[in-house]
Amino acid sequence: MAAGYVRPAGRLDVMTALGPYGGPWDERFAAHLLRRAGFSGTPDEVARLAAMSPHDAAESLIHFPDTSSFSPPPSVMDYPDPRRIAFKGMDDMAKRDAARTRRQEAVGNVLALQQWWLARMLTTPAPLQEKMTFVLHGHFTTAAIQKGVWPNLVLAQNQLFRQYALGNLHDLTLAVSKDPGMLLYLDNAENNKSHPNENYARELMELFTLGIGNYSEEDIRQSARAFTGWTIDRQTGEFTFNERNHDDGSKTFLSRTGNFDGKDIVDIIYQQRSAETFWATTLLSEFVYNDPEPELVDAFANVISRNKFELAPSMSVLLRSNVFYSPRAYRALVKSPVEFVIGAHKQMGLKQIVAGTPAALRDMGQILYYPPNVAGWPGGANWLTSQMLIARENFIAKMVNAPDMTQSTWMAQVPMDANRASKELVGTILQGDAPSQAYVQLIAYLNGSGTSALGMLSAENYDERVRGAAYLTMAMPAYQLG
Amino acid sequence: MTTMQRGKFLLGALSGITVVANLDHVLGRALADTPLPGLPGAGDRVLLLINLQGGNDGLNCVVPYGNPLYYQMRPSLAVAQSDVLTIDQNVGFNPQMRALKAMYDKGNVAVVQTVGYPDPDHSHFRSTEIWQTAAPEKYEHTGWLGRYLDEAQLPKDNLFNGVAVAQVLPEVLVSNQVDVPSIASLNGYGLLSDRNAVSKRTYTQLVTDNQFPFASPYLGHVAEIEDHAQRGSEELPKLVAGYKTDATYPATPLGRSLALAAQIAGSNLGTKVLYVQHGSFDTHTSQKATQDRLLGEFSEAISAFYSDLAAHGNDKKVLTLTFSEFGRRIAENGSHGTDHGEASPLFAIGGGVKGGLYGTAPDLSNTNMGNVRYATDFRSIYATVLERWLGRPSQKILSGNFDQLPIIA
Repeated sequence: MAAGYVRPAGRLDVMTALGPYGGPWDERFAAHLLRRAGFSGTPDEVARLAAMSPHDAAESLIHFPDTSSFSPPPSVMDYPDPRRIAFKGMDDMAKRDAARTRRQEAVGNVLALQQWWLARMLTTPAPLQEKMTFVLHGHFTTAAIQKGVWPNLVLAQNQLFRQYALGNLHDLTLAVSKDPGMLLYLDNAENNKSHPNENYARELMELFTLGIGNYSEEDIRQSARAFTGWTIDRQTGEFTFNERNHDDGSKTFLSRTGNFDGKDIVDIIYQQRSAETFWATTLLSEFVYNDPEPELVDAFANVISRNKFELAPSMSVLLRSNVFYSPRAYRALVKSPVEFVIGAHKQMGLKQIVAGTPAALRDMGQILYYPPNVAGWPGGANWLTSQMLIARENFIAKMVNAPDMTQSTWMAQVPMDANRASKELVGTILQGDAPSQAYVQLIAYLNGSGTSALGMLSAENYDERVRGAAYLTMAMPAYQLG
Repeated sequence: MTTMQRGKFLLGALSGITVVANLDHVLGRALADTPLPGLPGAGDRVLLLINLQGGNDGLNCVVPYGNPLYYQMRPSLAVAQSDVLTIDQNVGFNPQMRALKAMYDKGNVAVVQTVGYPDPDHSHFRSTEIWQTAAPEKYEHTGWLGRYLDEAQLPKDNLFNGVAVAQVLPEVLVSNQVDVPSIASLNGYGLLSDRNAVSKRTYTQLVTDNQFPFASPYLGHVAEIEDHAQRGSEELPKLVAGYKTDATYPATPLGRSLALAAQIAGSNLGTKVLYVQHGSFDTHTSQKATQDRLLGEFSEAISAFYSDLAAHGNDKKVLTLTFSEFGRRIAENGSHGTDHGEASPLFAIGGGVKGGLYGTAPDLSNTNMGNVRYATDFRSIYATVLERWLGRPSQKILSGNFDQLPIIA
């Protein structure tokens, strides 16, 4: 594991770890499931899942309803931009101006796509589909606009992840290898016989499927040859195989020899045990806890192997398992900024994304469609810098004062009694995950101590104090944990 | 006063907000002004590390224009001889680096050629990790400057012994004992709401009382960083407010980062190490436009930075060291770019540097599968900086003894 990922203390019982969980079940556990298999739950969603069995609760997230007609995306610029052709015959100044306008429009399109996706995360009837789409976006990274990844290619890749959200990882990897955004972002569009470009071949193995140490530099050179000629049609922006640029010679890759092309490379990759352990590590670290033990990785790799890289049955085992509901896994992850922001909206009961959210996410270090580099966003303790936490708290400060807060039905019904109000806030927002002294502090705040306007919680100060107390509850350390 | 932490005292109350300063911090600054124990020469010196991330192409940065092989292997990318800012008859700076060349001519830039390490890794992430942890043979959790912070006996309660002018804490500043704040900008380093200062401080204290109904590997860490965020955002703006500058920085991300670095270095916070990054230099396609722009931005921003430092008498106190995870392949690829390579040059900059050209020029015929072989281990430069600039023994921090270079004046 890279730096910043910490395994929980305590001992793993690998024999029972992946067996179905049959222990206590209440809103606290349901909320845990929704934090992991979604972006946290609204109070209603938590109550609904708490009324099911652990088995049915997980299955309801895995076998989600058809969302193909849910929330259509905004229309965005096409690839190639028609005005690119119109550039011909312009003088240099005019071309520069036209290119700048085109770029500004593209940046605006990507912002619209961010707003659309954030709203979708908040309101989708299929939270796990959106969560997996988000996880896959951070895994098979592609950054918008730079390298010509035009807004419609950004959208197409996002829809590809949504389509495969609980599909087959082998098939998804092949589809990603032909995805126009990826072909541009990792330069395979420029990988040709006379001058192979190794960028995609390397990251495919290092970051997407096998992990460092499971292939050689020679395997990279050889597989880069196999991907030569996999490019995009510059007129349509679609995948095309350019046979003239393809190296049809013999290659030796991971001890196999043949006239391999890109599909053969992906197929051979998915015959490796290291692909199973790689994905097991990735999914455990994303959904259970960071830096999972090798024995747990091995056991879950067997599940993935048995299910031939199908995500739905593999995730079903994981999200119903003892280890998933173990105290060691509980609040053992650090929320990413997107999980933090969407979770706060859901818990407050907001129905739409508060204005300024994309800018706030930028300050927290996570801009959708713009991962910092091909490795995606570094998680775990990497999210815990003072600057990023200040940005998180400032977002909450703005959110609780936003006009949208009047939509929150449960917030309007917080009891007008500091004692009971503190219980309601900590219960709903933190599932009670706070020490007793934290209630004392909240009660003191609700009753006005430390402010100029001393006085018990009353109709006069109720609105401001309850919003302030919600802010304080979300500023508690436990709230940063998923 | 019961909720106040040890070492804090009340400064005053403004519009109902309690303003608290950290006594430890004030003491910390006094301590930082006295020489460190151990080797002589540390004093009030600061090290600024600049990560040229993505893999800066060394051959088009310090150009081996005297070597015909360079022109053979770079038909579309080579810098023309007439454009090179010559250092000697063999090498010279990229033409975008005029400002840095002017500093070189004044003796304030040491160029160390063909720096790398044995068995080079071509992965951005692993090689970046190797340069930051200074541990090519094993996976190491702490960075070499993080270990320096652990060793240096700096005031424990000073929040700003090390500062990353970045969004994300780089691995080089990960330490076992010292939390290094990442401060990308002063603007973003302030809390909007004051309704919580006292309550929030209390929450972070509660975490250590084992009262939480769950365990988490991150809970204590969150609380610690929230405490730093609370204290730091109260203190930092006040501590750097007195710094005024007439320097004009380029309106680039690096220009803004270096302006803040100069302000922190010039505000007597006891900061010993600073980090900024610049990039991305990952130029697999159409390299020239990208790298030229980035090198030009680097050169201009560094020049503004040292003008600013000089105006405050700090130019001899701040040593800047660059690094990049690797250089790039000698031969260009088919996309007017270059793939991941190996050794490349780095720069040590400042009034405390003994300027000049160091190390061996890249050998373009005896290569490692088309890559420049390293001649100077990067840990030699780290050892030099630790011993001769920061005044600390390097053997433990670097897990070995490395030859030093005479690059410090």
